[in-house]
Amino acid sequence: MVNTLPQIACVGFCLRNILIFYTVNMAKPLSITFAREIPSVWRADELARPVDAVVATGHAALDAQLPAGGWPVGALVEVLQSKNNLNEWRLLLPALARCSGPVLLVGAPHQPFGPGLAAQGLDPQRLLCVTAQTTAQRLWACEQALRCADVTAVLAWLPQGGSGQVRPEQLRRLQMAASTHSKLLFVMRPLAAREESSPAALRVLVSGQGSGQEGLALHILKRRGPPLEQPLNLPARAARLAALLAVTRRQVAAPPVIIDKDGDEERHEASHHAVVARITPFPGHGHALDRTAAAA
Amino acid sequence: MHWIALQPLPDATGPQGDDDAAALIDALAALGWWALQFTPRVALVEGAVLMEVSASERLFGGRKPLLDKIYKKNKPVALVHYAQAATSLIAIARLQLSQSASRKPDDLPLTTLLAARPHLPTLTRIGCTTWGQLRALPRGGLVRRFGAGLVDALDRAYGAKPELYPWLELPAVFEAKLELTARIDNAPALMFGARRLLAQLHVWLQARQRGILALELGWELDARRQDATQGQLVVRTADSTLDMAHVQRLLAENLARVTLHAPALYLHLRSLETAVLPGTTTSLLPDDVRVGDSLHHLLERLSARLGADHVLRAVPFADHRPERMQVWQAASPAASVFATNSIATHAYPARAGVQKDTSKQPKNNAKLDAGSDALYPTWLLTQPLKLPVRNNIPQCADEGGPLTLLAGPQRVEAGWWGVSEKDGACALRDYFLARSEQMGLLWVYQERLGGQGRAEGKTGAGADWYLHGLFA
Repeated sequence: MVNTLPQIACVGFCLRNILIFYTVNMAKPLSITFAREIPSVWRADELARPVDAVVATGHAALDAQLPAGGWPVGALVEVLQSKNNLNEWRLLLPALARCSGPVLLVGAPHQPFGPGLAAQGLDPQRLLCVTAQTTAQRLWACEQALRCADVTAVLAWLPQGGSGQVRPEQLRRLQMAASTHSKLLFVMRPLAAREESSPAALRVLVSGQGSGQEGLALHILKRRGPPLEQPLNLPARAARLAALLAVTRRQVAAPPVIIDKDGDEERHEASHHAVVARITPFPGHGHALDRTAAAA
Repeated sequence: MHWIALQPLPDATGPQGDDDAAALIDALAALGWWALQFTPRVALVEGAVLMEVSASERLFGGRKPLLDKIYKKNKPVALVHYAQAATSLIAIARLQLSQSASRKPDDLPLTTLLAARPHLPTLTRIGCTTWGQLRALPRGGLVRRFGAGLVDALDRAYGAKPELYPWLELPAVFEAKLELTARIDNAPALMFGARRLLAQLHVWLQARQRGILALELGWELDARRQDATQGQLVVRTADSTLDMAHVQRLLAENLARVTLHAPALYLHLRSLETAVLPGTTTSLLPDDVRVGDSLHHLLERLSARLGADHVLRAVPFADHRPERMQVWQAASPAASVFATNSIATHAYPARAGVQKDTSKQPKNNAKLDAGSDALYPTWLLTQPLKLPVRNNIPQCADEGGPLTLLAGPQRVEAGWWGVSEKDGACALRDYFLARSEQMGLLWVYQERLGGQGRAEGKTGAGADWYLHGLFA
């Protein structure tokens, strides 16, 4: 209870402290630093102190903005994203790769693609996919998974609207299960859930339109601490892919030159929509996309 | 020697009438199994369970702690009454005269000696009514008049001769039947009866020091209503277990999906497969004790409710077609893979080394990204989504605007050898990285030669485009 509602608890602390402050003030003057010296007093302009273990997110900019510098273990983390623009792996994969043990995916929108995940450091054999149609079944599966001693993290995709609407008390139940058993719990919800209240300890809104199109724009809607006005921009792409994209972006900006059959230089027509990407070979294995390639 | 005799009291809730004797025998056998946890020398005699505990006293820390255990701490399920003595016959006699438990052997009435029962009228007429009086008669005369059996019994009762019984042994297969007290119409309600049988199974498993792997719960239906008169349910678990709570949950999940066509009358439980129970390693440190179920319990429970094909794990498969690079398998039977922590590093095509690195050094991102798998997406669509094409440019589905092709093609040409359904379809594809304003970075492909290996098919401009993956 206290774990999940530290703000309220801390506000309670503050109020009591002010009362003490007042009563003591009558007798003798007290410096304002008094409040700073008490470790259990949380001041509203700083991030909450670490209560539980955290797992580093793998994004330095995000770590700096989260209490204790990482995804909280044993708390519900809500990730809000558009149904058409999925970004969960870019956000969560570095943290999942850091810990070991099975990761349960409940109601994933698509198949996780093992080779792609493995390349970014997440062993696909750690993944267990649970497909369940109804929200009730997904919630049940999540709760069971959180109770399991071996499972490290649970990722759940909960739909919105209609009969599948998730009620706050159901989320609260998950939050309680996560905190009792100290599990990483991420719940992916659609954007419409933004306006609802939620018992989550951390709510982030993710969209793919970060800086330079490739970043991840992250709004921290709720955290244990002051609200964050500015969205975070995370350069969340695997290094190899980022390198490829950087090159192609340059190429797209200045339309590539194609040598025609006759040998004449010809500006590439937009309608034809061919792209030539010349990429400096990346150290390591060769790949088809590393060589000059033309799409007709 | 220290003998304890036990007798189950007639069960008030149990079935009455003709089946009483059979039910009593069942109860006696169950009691015998329970007694086997204290000593291997258990016998069923005259409707009582006899156990000789002197040999196992030291294991339990002396006679008093052992008796404490038997009488108070670890009581059997049924109501019983006890008697104890230095020999089994005295114990049985005291059991029959439960109100005078500490009567001396010489004062015990002859009615309590089984061997004397046929001769009771004669013995009573000569004024011999207690064991002491019988013992005082001359031995030779007794043998000539009543046969050697009576004198033998007397010798055994006073400890002059060893007592041997056919000792109780556990059957190799557990099988128990229960008559339901009421007719049960819906399957989940069968759990009440099943729980009782499971308690019995637990005793049997404990005594045999084995864990259950598979069991069968069967029921007999009222034959007057339907043709089908019985049904059964087989429940399996991946790891041999003594944990009846887990088995009970599995049974309940499975029973929830069963419909009974007629009221059930009988319930029976049979063990199909058992395995020797592995010992558990306990830790000295309290922190190492983890709270919660084990993974295979979780997977079995999820599979039981959602269906085995809804709880899946991926197994890598060497193929160049993305949809066949991993095979989805039911997770529950393979749960031991996680438990033993020996995750096989299978080969994704030609890059087993990278795989091994991922499990051990997840932080070494630069090295991992060096593998060309880094250019694979993270989500794969189960069914490739056909994209509309306008002006030869593939469009995002749902009026999402044109796609910008960023890199490619990566040519995949595989599966042309396929003859059977198992090999999958032939894939002649050019994969591209594409960007959509709406959906972000996508993995799309264009069918080459019109797809499916049709040589005369359309090439280039007219070929179909599909969305196959998302770089989420």
